[in-house]
Amino acid sequence: MAKNKNTKVLTKKQLAHRRVKTTFLSFERRRNLEGIVFSIPWLIGLVWFLFIPLFMSVKMSFYNVNGQDLWCNTGLSTWVGFDNYVEVIKDPEAGQVVLNSFMSALYQVPVIVAFALFVAVLLKQKFPGRVYFRVIFFIPVILSGVIMSYLFSDNVGNISVFGQIVANNQFLSGFGGIASQIGHIMWRSSVEILIFLAALQSVPDILYEVVDLDGATAWESFWHITLPYVSPFVILNCIYALVDSFVDSTNPVMSLLNGMDKYGERAALSWLYMLMTLIVILIFILFTRRWLR
Amino acid sequence: MKRLINNIKDFVLRLYKKYENLGYKVKKKIKFIIGRVFLYYVLIELAYLFLLPFIYILTTSMMSAQDYMDPTVQYIPTHINWENFQKAWMGLDIVAVDPSLDTDMFDPTISDYYSTLLNTIILSLGSAILQSVTCALVGYSLGRFKFRGRLFIMLFVIIILLIPPQTTITASFFMWSQMAMAEGFYAVLIPTIFGHGLRGALFILIYMYFFQRIPDVMDDAARIDGAGPIRVFVQIMFPLVKSALTIVFIFSFVWHWNDNQETLTYTYLPQHNTFQEALSKIQQNYLEELGYDGGAISETLRASSEPVLFAGCLMVMFPVLIVYILGQKRLVAGIERIGVIE
Repeated sequence: MAKNKNTKVLTKKQLAHRRVKTTFLSFERRRNLEGIVFSIPWLIGLVWFLFIPLFMSVKMSFYNVNGQDLWCNTGLSTWVGFDNYVEVIKDPEAGQVVLNSFMSALYQVPVIVAFALFVAVLLKQKFPGRVYFRVIFFIPVILSGVIMSYLFSDNVGNISVFGQIVANNQFLSGFGGIASQIGHIMWRSSVEILIFLAALQSVPDILYEVVDLDGATAWESFWHITLPYVSPFVILNCIYALVDSFVDSTNPVMSLLNGMDKYGERAALSWLYMLMTLIVILIFILFTRRWLR
Repeated sequence: MKRLINNIKDFVLRLYKKYENLGYKVKKKIKFIIGRVFLYYVLIELAYLFLLPFIYILTTSMMSAQDYMDPTVQYIPTHINWENFQKAWMGLDIVAVDPSLDTDMFDPTISDYYSTLLNTIILSLGSAILQSVTCALVGYSLGRFKFRGRLFIMLFVIIILLIPPQTTITASFFMWSQMAMAEGFYAVLIPTIFGHGLRGALFILIYMYFFQRIPDVMDDAARIDGAGPIRVFVQIMFPLVKSALTIVFIFSFVWHWNDNQETLTYTYLPQHNTFQEALSKIQQNYLEELGYDGGAISETLRASSEPVLFAGCLMVMFPVLIVYILGQKRLVAGIERIGVIE
């Protein structure tokens, strides 16, 4: 009797109900469809907020656009062909600004990445109070571009020690540009520190213990364990820092673009600038491909 | 002199010999202590550098003009000058009117400190809430499902990251003005509903990492128990990425609060102004009040306007600082959890 109570006997009707429905979509397919459905809003947005504006900005770069067209919705009328591009390339001031921004990215990115790696290695150690240090190193993120430019004009980032070292040294005087901005460069490395911290957490602790038993110093274990493990993240951080310095609001190219009244030329210059940044990043990725795994 | 150097040399050598003769454990302990001292020294030094902007803003905002001019007063002002904040309040109150704008398009009476505050809060809180939900949807689909076209979406997420906003911003403005939505918050808030908006691609990547790391068993179990797709996401998966939610929410809030590039394109009218715009005009406003008429800024004018400027900076930064401090604990926890990528 007791046995019967526990095992429930299904009636024929219930069994029919329970039979697996043979649907048009298999289980696998249904799950994949679910994934697509979840990203449909984003795909709509992709067309609406990326493709259309990109297309329009290409179109604008071939037209003569003034403020009137933008504000009063009159639409684009005067086709000028490649004149905007020619005009922008001919402009010596724009060329100088763009070149300067590329040069400054060239020396800022290695400094940012090396500094971020150094800080991340220090912060990875387990010591009392590390949580507070992590919070402090992340705090410059909340400084806005406007506040940053005020601090820059007040020379807060010019930490005099570095300035003095460089000023008194014949060999280092060429690096004066870095020395006077060292504070600003450091404050921009917060996100990179974060990425490195995350990467360092994935290095298994046992490796450090093994080499420690074999008598390796901290320096050796950094070069032979830490660096090979985080090398993809070094590349990732370089790319992030490059992009960040190209699109940063304190970048002179951005203020140049914002100040341009001829919108056709503005679109042309921004397209040229974008293509140049993409080429730089692609070259960088090509050269560092083997470390990216 | 030579004797002194020799003495020191001897002392160091003797110390080193003593150290050599010590046991492994003691050696390790000494190394550990030296390492810790070095670590704390370097970290405190660097932490000072990172806190320097805040120390500078805080102390300068409390200085009087005399203190600012006085080279002996570097950080600690002789007396706290609360007037600066009052003046900064007034400076933020008056929103500078761009003369190139059509004059009947705005109403100067409704642009004051409170409306600026309200605008900034609507913009940054609204988009932070929207982005932290909608980006989670895309991150969920990219992190949990292997459908055809996933790589295509990934590719475009990364391309969006790489495109400088200036390339599309004029065209976007043109597009929105054709839809008669260029003025106000539509152009900022509507993209966030679709998981785009300011740095939306980065948030998608963050969510994707977090969703990838959740074991498959979790949603499989829920599915076997009969949960539908929406229920799996809302009740099972989304609560598991709370730390990602905190990171995205804080970042989105802070970046929208601080943005003066993309949002400014649409909020140029005084009744839509945000803090960053008001802040960039505050010095000019205050100088005009003092009777400044173009040309080079004299040292005295600079000394009296600079503390007011930084008082304004502090007032604008304050809410963000509070959000950061409130979310700090979960932010750090989230950061530590990103670490276990694979």
